[in-house]
Order: sequence, then structure tokens, then C-alpha cells
Amino acid sequence: MSALSVPFSFNRLALIASNTFLEAVRQKLFNFLLLLAVGLVASAQFFRDFNFGSSELKFIADFGFGALIFFGSALTITATAQLFFSEIENRTALTLLAKPIWRAEFVFGKFLGVFSVIGVFCALTIGLMMALLWHREGQLMAANPEAFEAGRIMRYGDLFIVGVLQWLKFGVLSAIVLLIASFSNTNLYTVVTGFFALVICHLQYLARDSWSNVDSLVLRSVVRLLSFVFPNFQLFNLSDEIGQGAGLDPMLAGRVALYAVVYITVIGGLAVYSFRNREI
Amino acid sequence: MPFALNFLRSARTGLLVAAGLAAAGIALRPLEAPAWEEVRSRQPALRLESIKDALGQGVTVGLLGGFRAIVADFFWIRTNYVWEKYDLPATQTSIKLVTAIDPRPTYFWLNGSRMIAYDMPNWRIDKAGGYDKVPDTVKKRFDQEQSEVAIRYLNEGFGFHPEEPLIRLEIANIYLNRLKDTASAARDYAIAAEHPDAPYYAARIYAELLRKMERNTDAYAYLRTLYAKLPADNPQAMKSVVLERIRELEAELNVALADRFRE
Amino acid sequence: MNTSIPAISIKGLTKDFAVTLRGVKLRAVDDLSLQVEEGQVFGLLGPNGSGKSTTIKIILGLLGATVGEVKVFGVPSHQVESRRNVGYLPEAPYFYRYLSGYELVRFYARVCGVPKAQLKARVNDVVDWVGLSQAANRRVGTYSKGMLQRIGLAQALVHDPKLIVLDEPTAGVDPVGSAEMCELILKLKRQGKTVLITSHLLAQIEDVCDRVAILDHGKLMVEGSLLELVGQRDRQALIVDPLPATEIEALREWLTSRGHVLNAIEQPRARLDQLFLSKISRAGQLGGNPGVGSNVVPSSSVPKSSASASSSAPKA
Repeated sequence: MSALSVPFSFNRLALIASNTFLEAVRQKLFNFLLLLAVGLVASAQFFRDFNFGSSELKFIADFGFGALIFFGSALTITATAQLFFSEIENRTALTLLAKPIWRAEFVFGKFLGVFSVIGVFCALTIGLMMALLWHREGQLMAANPEAFEAGRIMRYGDLFIVGVLQWLKFGVLSAIVLLIASFSNTNLYTVVTGFFALVICHLQYLARDSWSNVDSLVLRSVVRLLSFVFPNFQLFNLSDEIGQGAGLDPMLAGRVALYAVVYITVIGGLAVYSFRNREI
Repeated sequence: MPFALNFLRSARTGLLVAAGLAAAGIALRPLEAPAWEEVRSRQPALRLESIKDALGQGVTVGLLGGFRAIVADFFWIRTNYVWEKYDLPATQTSIKLVTAIDPRPTYFWLNGSRMIAYDMPNWRIDKAGGYDKVPDTVKKRFDQEQSEVAIRYLNEGFGFHPEEPLIRLEIANIYLNRLKDTASAARDYAIAAEHPDAPYYAARIYAELLRKMERNTDAYAYLRTLYAKLPADNPQAMKSVVLERIRELEAELNVALADRFRE
Repeated sequence: MNTSIPAISIKGLTKDFAVTLRGVKLRAVDDLSLQVEEGQVFGLLGPNGSGKSTTIKIILGLLGATVGEVKVFGVPSHQVESRRNVGYLPEAPYFYRYLSGYELVRFYARVCGVPKAQLKARVNDVVDWVGLSQAANRRVGTYSKGMLQRIGLAQALVHDPKLIVLDEPTAGVDPVGSAEMCELILKLKRQGKTVLITSHLLAQIEDVCDRVAILDHGKLMVEGSLLELVGQRDRQALIVDPLPATEIEALREWLTSRGHVLNAIEQPRARLDQLFLSKISRAGQLGGNPGVGSNVVPSSSVPKSSASASSSAPKA
């Protein structure tokens, strides 16, 4: 009999993903969302006191996206590490991998579970932000119609698309953390290295844009290589435009989304490769 | 030898992973490069040298990490706090810091210039002894100095928003309200009014300034041309008000009935 | 069914762990070869660190062999297919604490490919069979040690495997629980299942195993059937009523006259665990009363209503 008698199963993958999602829910990972929601509403109220006029919407959007990016990144790294390592440390991975299941199903299943958790987080945060903006913009339009001659300033469709792109960015980050976890021995190491990777990916563009300015050949090669090895998270930095009413180019959004999907697939595949012979 | 071999075996997976990532990065560059060019074009160059002393390391990293908008927002709120305290040096520094961090929002340039041109002269007068004690010449000097600072600041804004009519209008307002320079104000209102996104009032105010400078003939000719371009269905355009002004000028200029403007 | 294929075949298995970068290795299993035939109960014994758990992990595909070959029903153990017919109860069972007992067994049933049409019935049957119906909706994190063992059994059996691997199944379990486990193993054997069991509790191994292997420092010390290994063929024991001293002496003389030696006169003893079980009320549930071990292991081919009447061999 060959290994293909138990072919790769998306059903099993989905099963592991839903189990991972359930673990996150029952471990009350979403409780902090309540605090975040309160924070967002409070900050929106806070901005009213400054009388920024129509620009208040930009502040609400900027802080909303800032919170999404900050808390989303933290959630992605810690949830991925925790939901993966809980299997290793509690040794439930032992029982699970003793079943007729591919290691690739396990790794991608864990990824999809975490990706779903982050998706819920992004959806709720963006949804709340859009509701706050819609409500406040309506009030400002009534109070100051001249500033809204051309109608609503905020482009809610673009807001949604940028939210989706941030979710995809978190997916890439989660895949990176999963790759680290596949060979790491501890949760702490994975989390710390994950945060380092996050910073490097955000600053990758500096290496990319300045490698030719480096004198030393060796250092120049290293810098150039770094600019290829790490994904460019600045590419997802499109939220700054929302508050100023500039439109989002759908082609640009499509490219960025495809970039994220390809990276998720490649990094996820590398995580499977790294995990394949890991001794549980 | 066993040590080297063992190390190589351990490092093999790491090297393969790094190679895989590098290969993915290279393969994705044709997809990523045009997208990155577009994203980068929307972000003005960060003039880090001019501001890094004013910022902590963490904030500098935050800027580099792509959080310019939120860092600028944070410093704008701080600007409001020091503005409430009438702290001129801190407010002025903070205003410039905000636009150095993120020059994209027009809001910062406009409101910053207003703080400089309208509020700071009063603070200086207060500090010099108050309105009753400070001589008019000194008051005028304060107005002049702050207005020049504000106009210089707004001209800097043109570097990032070359076509922005609101900045032009802000300059015009400073000339008109603070410096009482009707001619310069009129010039800038005219330039602003030419822009398709300019508010409708820009053109009307230009015409009024022409009348104020007793250039009624120019004002009449301008308003006649303007009226034809205004939309009928937009209350902001105030077409009826423009028509009123045309009729007023026809009366003042004694325009013959046959030559009067027909809608 | 091809009876010539052993359930487990291990040939020349060696497993080294690298403990430092300098290349120092720990040899956990050293040139082990043994075979477990289908339908046997096989005991894998040895002190701590003898290589039992490592061997089991290699059989289950959780570790790779450094040298040698391990097959499960003819399929190399590193292949996913080899685990299709294997149920595993780990030592100190590790399960998802946030799932209820029912959810846990259901999850593993789906992973193992139990058809959806049979899922609910199968899970209910096996949870009922291990005596956890009352606690099935409680989270596994609230279970006692004994309950964890039972739910572990349930997840190992839910997909009706041909080979069941029990790693220290009675570690930390009281004598009643241990007796229940032994009875379960015998019932599995009667159903034609193959059971591989590791344990430190040799008395229990003696009661249930057909064959045993003893490992020490990774090497196979001895392997064979219990009778071959521990039976004393050069002795006989006769159990008689209590005899007075004079008659014992007469018996000794009679044996001597025939060239035999009376080596020892001892008082026969029952086992302490048997005494314990006879005194404990819970133990009354064993052997035919409702509770764990009283019914046949639910088979995927047998509807729930007729399970108690059937002891048919399980179907894959």
C-alpha cells in the first residue's frame, strides 16, 4: 500500500482548523476585543472635544487602523504561537499525529484556525470603526453641510478593502510565526522571534531601497539578500490614504492581496517542510 | 569533523528555508515592485534628520515602520494641548513637527497656519502687557511677523500639495485679515478660484476685492464670465447672488440696457 | 484477511538521538527485532529509559528510525496509511481540555475517517461503553485520572482499529481500574484485536499477555511466551489439604525412595489484588454487571441495540 491510500484531505484540515478556532474561543482569546471596542468608542468621543471638523473622521480612521495593526499584530503572533505550542507542550499533538493524518494537514489546519481567529478580530474591529465613522460623519454633515459639498468624505468600500488587506498581512505574519514554531523549542522563543520578524518585515524596505549604498561587498550582498528573504509589510500600508478621501486603486489592492496569498502558501509550505521530521 | 557535519545537518533545514524564502522574494519581485512604487509614491520622503532629535527612538522606529499618520495625529493632539497653554515656542515647534512627520493631510497645514497667524500675535501682545498697554505699532509688528511665518509655512505646504486651492485661500485670508493687503489677497483669491476643486466663494470674494480696490469694470467682466460657468443646481454656487452683484455693478457702471448681461 | 502479515514487524531497529552539536548521541533503541502477530496481546516491558516509549513512537510514525525497518500490517510505519487501523492510548493521556468528552471522541472519530452516517451512533456507543455517558458533556479538563484513561480508551477505539497500542494504561490508576483495564484487554483479544501494551506493573502483564519482550538500555533482553519464559519446567507444585508433620515426613521419605526431592513446603497465597477486589464494592461491577468491560467493544458493523449480544470480530 502507498501513502496515497490516505490522500491529503481538506476535510481533516478543516477539522483541525475548526478545533483550533474553538480552542481560541473557549480560551477566551476574544475577551480583549471588548476592551478594544470600548477603547475605540472612547477615542472617537475624545476627538469630538477638539473640534477638528470633518478631519475628525481622519483621526478616528487613523486611530482605528492603528489599533487594528497594533493589537492585530500582537494577537497574530501570540495566538499562533500559543495555539501551536499548546499542542506540543500539552502533547495533544502526540495523540493527534498518531492518527492517519498528514503533518501538512496539521500545520495548515493550525494556520487556518488562527487565520479565522484573526479574521473575526479584523471583521469586528473594522465593522465597529465603520459604524463609528458612519454615525459621526452623519452628525458632521448635518452640522456643517458646506464641508460635505460632494457628499460623504469617507470611502467605506476602501475601508473594507484595506481591512481585508491587513487581515492578509496578518496571515503572512502568522505563517512566519508558524515557520518559527515548527523548529522552535519554546513558546517564548517563538513569540520573541515573531516580534523581531514583524519589525524586520516593516523595515525591509530600507534594505531594499538602500543596499546599493553599502560599501562593503559582503554587507551589500547580505542586505540585498535580506530584502528578498523577508516580505515587505509596508506594501499593506494603505490605510493612511483613507482618511484623506483619496481612492484606492483596485489593481494595487489586487496585487497586494496576491502577494500575501503567495507568501502565505510558500511560508506555510516551508513550515510543513521544517516540521516534517520534528520529533514529538 | 563530526561536529561540523552535525552542525551542517542541523543547519540544513534552516538554509533550505532561507533559500526558499529568498526564491519566493525574487519570484514575487515583478508583482511587488510596481505595487511598492505606487505605495511609495503616496508617501512623501521622511525628513528624519530634521525631526529625529525631537522624537524618541521608539517613535522613530514607529515612523520607519509605517505609522506616520498615527504618530502625526498623536503629535497634533499634543499641539492642541500646548496651544491651550498659549506656549508659543512649543506650539510652533509642534506644528512644524507634525507636518515634517506627515505632510499629506492638508488639515495640518491649514490649522497650523491659523494658530501661527491668528492666535500667536494675541499671545505675544498678552505677554508684552496686554492690548491696553502695547502700542499699535508693536501690535502691527507682531501681526506682520506672525503672518510672514504663517505664509512661509503655507508655501512650504505647496511643496507637498502644489495644486491645493485651500492652501492658496489660506494665504489669501492672511493677507486680507491680518496684513490688510487687499491687492495680494485678491491675487491669491484669483489663483485659487481658477482651480476646479476650489470652493465657489473664492471667485465671489475675488470679485468683491476687485470692487473694494475700485476696479469695478474688472469685477463686472469677471462676474459675467463666472456666472456662465456656475451650475444651476448647486446651492453652494449661489448663482442668484452672483447675478445680484452683476446687476449692482451694471447700475454702478451705468451699463446700457442693450449691453446688460443676459442669463 | 491475510493472516501471514504480522501486526507489527520490527527488524534491526536502532534509534539515536543527537544530544549535543558535538555529535554525542543517545542510543535509545539498539538493533531491536521482534514481531507481534495479529490477534496477540504483546507486552513490552522494561525499566524507565529502556526504549519502550521510543519504540512505540516509531511504530506510530511519531519518530523516524535511524536504522532498521518497522511495519504495521505490512505498511512502513512512517507512512500515514500505517496508522489507519491503529488506536493509541498515550501514557498520562493528553487531550484537549476545552472539549467535552463527547466532542473529543467525535473529533478523533472524524479525523480517523469514521463515516458521517455512523458517527453519532459510534461515538455514543463507545462513550457509553467506557462508562462516561453521564460525564460526556463535561469538559475534559474537569476529568479525574481514571476518567481521562476511559476517554482515552474511547478515542483509541472509536474507529474500530485492528491494533491497539496502550502505553502504561494502568499508571496511576487504582486496582479496580487496573482490573477493568485487564478485562478490557482480554475482551479486545477475544474480538481478534491485536494489543501492544507497555507497563511497569508486571502482575497485570502476566494476567493478560500472550507474549512479552523485555528491553534494557535499548536492547532486547528476552522475548517469548509467558509459559516459555516464566514456567519452571523442572518443578511441579501439588496443592493438598493441610497435612500433619508426621505425614509430611512420610511423604518426604516416600519421594526420596523414588529418587525425588521435596524442595519446599509453602502455604499457597491468593494475590493481594484479588483480595482487594473481593472486598471493594465497585469491583462487583466487573465480569457481567453493567459498567466498563461488561459488554463487547462496540463494533462499527454492529448496531447499538444488538451490541450486548454480539462478540463478532470487528470490521475495518
